[in-house]
Amino acid sequence: MSRQQPIELFMPPNMLKAKVGGSFVGLDMAAINRAEAAMEELKNEFASWAQDDVRRLVAARDAFAAEPGSATRAGLLRAAHDMKGQAATFNYPLIARVAGSLSRLIHDLPETTELSLGLVDAHVNAIHVIYRDKVMDMSNKVALALSNELEARVAEVLGS
Amino acid sequence: MSAYRFDRLKILVVDDNVHMRKLVVTILQAFGVIQIFEAESGERAWAILRESNPDVVVLDWMMEGLSGLDLVQMIRTDSQTPNPFVPVIMLTGHTHIDRVRQARDAGINEFIAKPVSVKVMMSRLMSVIENPRPFVRTKSYFGPCRRRRGSPEYRGPERRTEKTILAAE
Repeated sequence: MSRQQPIELFMPPNMLKAKVGGSFVGLDMAAINRAEAAMEELKNEFASWAQDDVRRLVAARDAFAAEPGSATRAGLLRAAHDMKGQAATFNYPLIARVAGSLSRLIHDLPETTELSLGLVDAHVNAIHVIYRDKVMDMSNKVALALSNELEARVAEVLGS
Repeated sequence: MSAYRFDRLKILVVDDNVHMRKLVVTILQAFGVIQIFEAESGERAWAILRESNPDVVVLDWMMEGLSGLDLVQMIRTDSQTPNPFVPVIMLTGHTHIDRVRQARDAGINEFIAKPVSVKVMMSRLMSVIENPRPFVRTKSYFGPCRRRRGSPEYRGPERRTEKTILAAE
């Protein structure tokens, strides 16, 4: 099987290497340790960051409920997707999981299919409760059961 | 043997979430990077790119307005781009293979799947320094070679009919 169009393959000058100098000696563990220490310090701020993200998700949900449409739906997807990416970093893996389920629902559901506000609310409320109760590990049975249930409902809606 | 001079680098961090930007900036600063530009949108990032011509771009995928993918395509192909070869590291919560392919096809160099970790950030930065990919120009694509590292061990089908390697160095 051959691709019909001609291609040009070339190697641009490695300006980055020239700029940073030095030579590859494996990962710079001193820099990694400094960065990990800096992240540890930031963790004190994670609680308020997570709170901001929960507020943003609730605001996006309210905007969608008030005026369902592609713009508010896209805003809700962005808020859920951001939360999915960030919650794990902020030590809330179960929030990441529920936000991931909500993202999947919004993203995979055809734009022409109505997005169930009830199912959206179930996700947003679950995130709110997990955050309120500061569930920061994966062993909380109630939160785990809730996540499983939400994922199952999304799979059902998406027919997967 | 000597360590890299990260203090010589200019890095642009683009994310509409202020917390994620702060996290990435904190990590980069701890690596020793001093010149860090921040942009909260693709539009602002484009302006900074043209003003400051950074050496590396760390970019979020999903942003309102100009998305991360849109911005990468502009960096690679817009006539106003200051550097079409600038390494782009994309931060994303998307890990599905179709999404990875989509980003690769837009011209990104490396991925960091969220949650962000220090070691992965360092490893991707080292990768763009030590193992830059060749660039490819076709009618429909311009950007880093999408075949991983052009690996000499590649044993799959050879899909290209004409290959021109130009040493720009």
